[in-house]
Amino acid sequence: MIEFKDVSLVYPNGTQGLKNINVTIKDGEFVVIVGLSGAGKSTFIRSINRLVTPTSGSLLVDNEDILTFKGKDLRKLRTKTGMIFQNYNLVKRSSVPKNVLAGRLGHVGTVRSILNMYSKEDLSLAYESLKRVNIEEKIYNRADELSGGQQQRVSIARVLTQQPKYILADEPVASLDPPTSHQVMTYLKKINKEDGITTIVNLHFIDMAMEYADRIIGMRGGEIVFDGPASEVSEKTFEEIYGRSIREEDKIGGADKS
Amino acid sequence: MTKGKSVLSQASSETNKIPTLYPAKTKLQVTVIFFTVLIIYIFSMYWTQREMVGGVGGALGNMYTVIKKFFPPNFAILPNILDPLLQTIQMAIIATTIAAIITIPLALLSARNVTTFKPLYYFSRTFLNLLRTIPDLVLAVIFVGLFGIGVFPGILALIIFSLGILAKLISETIEAVDMNPMEAMRASGGNTLQVIWYALVPQVLPQYTSLVLYVFEINIRASVVLGLVGAGGIGLILNQQLGFYNYPNAMAIIIIIFVVVILIEYISNKIREALV
Repeated sequence: MIEFKDVSLVYPNGTQGLKNINVTIKDGEFVVIVGLSGAGKSTFIRSINRLVTPTSGSLLVDNEDILTFKGKDLRKLRTKTGMIFQNYNLVKRSSVPKNVLAGRLGHVGTVRSILNMYSKEDLSLAYESLKRVNIEEKIYNRADELSGGQQQRVSIARVLTQQPKYILADEPVASLDPPTSHQVMTYLKKINKEDGITTIVNLHFIDMAMEYADRIIGMRGGEIVFDGPASEVSEKTFEEIYGRSIREEDKIGGADKS
Repeated sequence: MTKGKSVLSQASSETNKIPTLYPAKTKLQVTVIFFTVLIIYIFSMYWTQREMVGGVGGALGNMYTVIKKFFPPNFAILPNILDPLLQTIQMAIIATTIAAIITIPLALLSARNVTTFKPLYYFSRTFLNLLRTIPDLVLAVIFVGLFGIGVFPGILALIIFSLGILAKLISETIEAVDMNPMEAMRASGGNTLQVIWYALVPQVLPQYTSLVLYVFEINIRASVVLGLVGAGGIGLILNQQLGFYNYPNAMAIIIIIFVVVILIEYISNKIREALV
């Protein structure tokens, strides 16, 4: 369970990233955060694994206030929360399995990981993860030889190998074309359902949010302006969240999956 | 609708005035800089010409005497200079290897994106800058004075000399690295060492190897020169032969050094091309 209690974040340059956030995310939920760029979506998601540190309030993950975490505790928290990025963030010059095994870094000792001394379980876990996103045939490729969609699947496999309790996806489909975007979202949804991993995804496409989310949280100017089940959401709700009328570019389209 | 109209009319009024490629201020600045540099060139040419005693004509006359003295080179000394030649190459290999190892922590400490603690970063940057201000020849003279004539002071001088270049170049390579994978490794719970090993090393490794080879080339040439001040190797022999006015021997040594340096540069260039 993730609980935000009066969480605010002011960046050193004075920008208010988050403003009095109060929200609880229950285990197993698939939450989509929507909002225009600069609304605080990334800051929200990055606060949970402390890539950014809120300046006031308290943020509880499994009933522990993570805002005071340092060193070992912080790494343990990050081991528990897998992250998927807009730019996939793979090491391009490294092989696919090496990238996937990087998900084990928090679990494996420093010396073992540097000497590539992974246990049989870790190796088979990495292979299983690649299989789950149907990219196991790329096992001997370097990451930069893959297409964008394939790279994002490898990064999902990396997160699966991490065996996290939470998955945080920061604009995972913003650099992908519509069919590939739907494919990636389908994998995320499937993992959420099958493994019961709580998943929080940042999106700015409204049709996609409505299609995949259990619950939608709308943000504007660092504040939560909407919070409710996806079934209650209509275009009208999005107009309220965005503070303007809905345009064509707010939708990704291509919902007919191939 | 009204908003769209106003944008349109604004655009049409601006098309009458075609903007220049560079702003007038930039043009003026570039012109001033160009002429300043030109004046500096003309001045330094004028002054250096005045200092030349015989002018270019005198140099040509001297050239004839020099060539007559140096030719033909005496290649009979070849077996005798093989050992010092190997010594020179060994000096360069040992010095480059040690410098390449010490460089790693130094380069990491002086890369802004890895060492986020500012005072430490500035300290190691300044340290490297200081290292690079000392010429290799001065280092060699100091170490020969401390340890006596031989290979050891030469190796020490080369280590410090190449450390300055290598650490600087590699720290800049590290600063140019893609930071996203490092963020991902941190987000998956890796500690600093793991983040560096998994996200940084693969990105830097080809350039690192290439730069080490490049510094090795520099060290081969430098170790010849260092021999001149008593730091061992072929340079020492060359200096002796010049001191005995034995110019044919000296010429043979110079030609052999030339061939060896070109050979090593060719091989290391080929390896570097394959790497990057």
